Amino acid sequence: MTDNPSPMPASSLTLAEIQSRLQAAIVSGDDAILSSLADGSRESRDVLLGVYRHAYTARLIEVLSSDYPFLRACVGDDLFRDLAKSYIVAHPSKSQNVRWFGTAFPRFLEGHESTAQHPEHAELAAIEKAVADAFDSADAPVLGFTDLSAYPPDEWVNLTFALHPSVTLLQLRMNAFEIWRSLKEGEPPPPAVPLACNQHLAVWRQGTSPKVRVMADEEAMMCGAAWRGTPFGMLCVMVATFDDPETAPMRAASYLQSWLASEMLTSANPQPLAVRFKMNNGLECEQLQ
Amino acid sequence: MARAKTVAVTRSIRETASQRPPFLGFGLGLRPQHYSDILEASPKVDWFEAISENYMVPGGQPLRMLDKIRARYPIVLHGVSLSIASTAPFNENYLKDLKTLAARVEPQFVSDHLCWTGVHGVNLHDLLPIPYTREALDHVVARVHYVQEYLGRPLAIENVSTYVQFAHSEMPEWEFITELTKRTGCWLVFDVNNVFVSAFNHGWDAHAFIDGIPIDRVVQFHLAGHEHNVSHIIDTHDALVPEEVWELFRAAVKRFGPVSTIIERDDNIPPLADLVAELGTARTIAEEMLAELKQERT
Repeated sequence: MTDNPSPMPASSLTLAEIQSRLQAAIVSGDDAILSSLADGSRESRDVLLGVYRHAYTARLIEVLSSDYPFLRACVGDDLFRDLAKSYIVAHPSKSQNVRWFGTAFPRFLEGHESTAQHPEHAELAAIEKAVADAFDSADAPVLGFTDLSAYPPDEWVNLTFALHPSVTLLQLRMNAFEIWRSLKEGEPPPPAVPLACNQHLAVWRQGTSPKVRVMADEEAMMCGAAWRGTPFGMLCVMVATFDDPETAPMRAASYLQSWLASEMLTSANPQPLAVRFKMNNGLECEQLQ
Repeated sequence: MARAKTVAVTRSIRETASQRPPFLGFGLGLRPQHYSDILEASPKVDWFEAISENYMVPGGQPLRMLDKIRARYPIVLHGVSLSIASTAPFNENYLKDLKTLAARVEPQFVSDHLCWTGVHGVNLHDLLPIPYTREALDHVVARVHYVQEYLGRPLAIENVSTYVQFAHSEMPEWEFITELTKRTGCWLVFDVNNVFVSAFNHGWDAHAFIDGIPIDRVVQFHLAGHEHNVSHIIDTHDALVPEEVWELFRAAVKRFGPVSTIIERDDNIPPLADLVAELGTARTIAEEMLAELKQERT
């Protein structure tokens, strides 16, 4: 039989105190709640309390396993379980929907000691998170070619574009995308290696299916600027400074065409008033058009 | 003025609460693994119970699938995170999202569990037990009133499987639930497996539970499998409904009559056809027991 660990009689505890103690017992292993519990008909109260304690960690590990299956396959069950346990302690769930429990896992991995030497782990997790987010992110209208052709050519210079809420742009230092793609296709992943230069990845939803593709540096630069509300005219200028100025408008139009075809844009809006510039000193200023 | 509005809303809920949801027949818990089979094969399932939180997401495929299935089948929304018994304040965003989802789905009814899931801003994502005290009853009654008024519809509250019980409980679980439904007008989801699990773990008589629940408030039966560990049972929803739960189901049908019934499976999820076959057992048992009941009454 379990000893009473608290001098306070169980009956004097309020419902709020009972709930605080039971939660502390499950999350932190505190035994104070035991004095408020009765033994079961065939089992002691501490063993029965253990059902909740075990279920708490096991359930959340399962949630992370389900959200990050490729990371688990990559690091192995034991390391994944250790990482998950550390995350559960560092990031107890604050959301009522378990769907959002694991959202900080990629960022957590970036700073975790066991993965600091393996940046591909956090990057792989970031890809998995972006795909999951694309799956159930907000619905929004899809901008089509006909929508865009409604604007006269001289207005295009002032058009800004809203990216679909499902779009995530990632920047990778390691070959995490190659690893992710191999695991998705059921093949053994290649060894992790740093890339010669950063790789840009776009993740979004087309129809109901998440899509992932590599973006060239120039397209990624233009896409990021479009995301920040830079008008098309300025996007063309940026593309012109990135590479051959003569073909810049064609290249910019080609990227735009690709985004339209793959349902990455949700609206185009004329912005005649101002464009924001970020100056070298970090301050932002506006220039009238 | 505000009080007059509250009284009017409460009266409206009570009027709605008197309109018992219809008998839906025999259904299944809706699981994403079965979406395509449901839409392609239109299986012999009368209705589906959708986990509310699975669809409380911004958009995308889950909501589109639910819309498609809703167009063909009646749906009940069944939550796991309302935390009706928590002493923490309600998460208003959660309630808002639930109300939005209910407006979209137009479910037969909305249900959740007699439990709490966390306090102090933390969610344990478990269905945690409460002491069956007058203090807890008053607290849960007030919270059920609040949610019913917020949603503009009566809730259905489900008994949970419990592994611990509190030494200072002042009444049995069935008395607590009976008082709750009397004072709030909420409906009840009678989880047959949960009654079996809790009765075994705590050593009380499952039939006393069945006999202690008011007949006219039960609008749904849950059936599921569990993990038997000799000294205690864990509610796992990962196996076939065992014979002892079918046996209790027989007694429940005999007391409560025709009640909308589902089989819940949350782990080791088999092909849809297997669950439809298992659902056939529920149909057969219910038909047998209802025929027996009819014979006894004539």
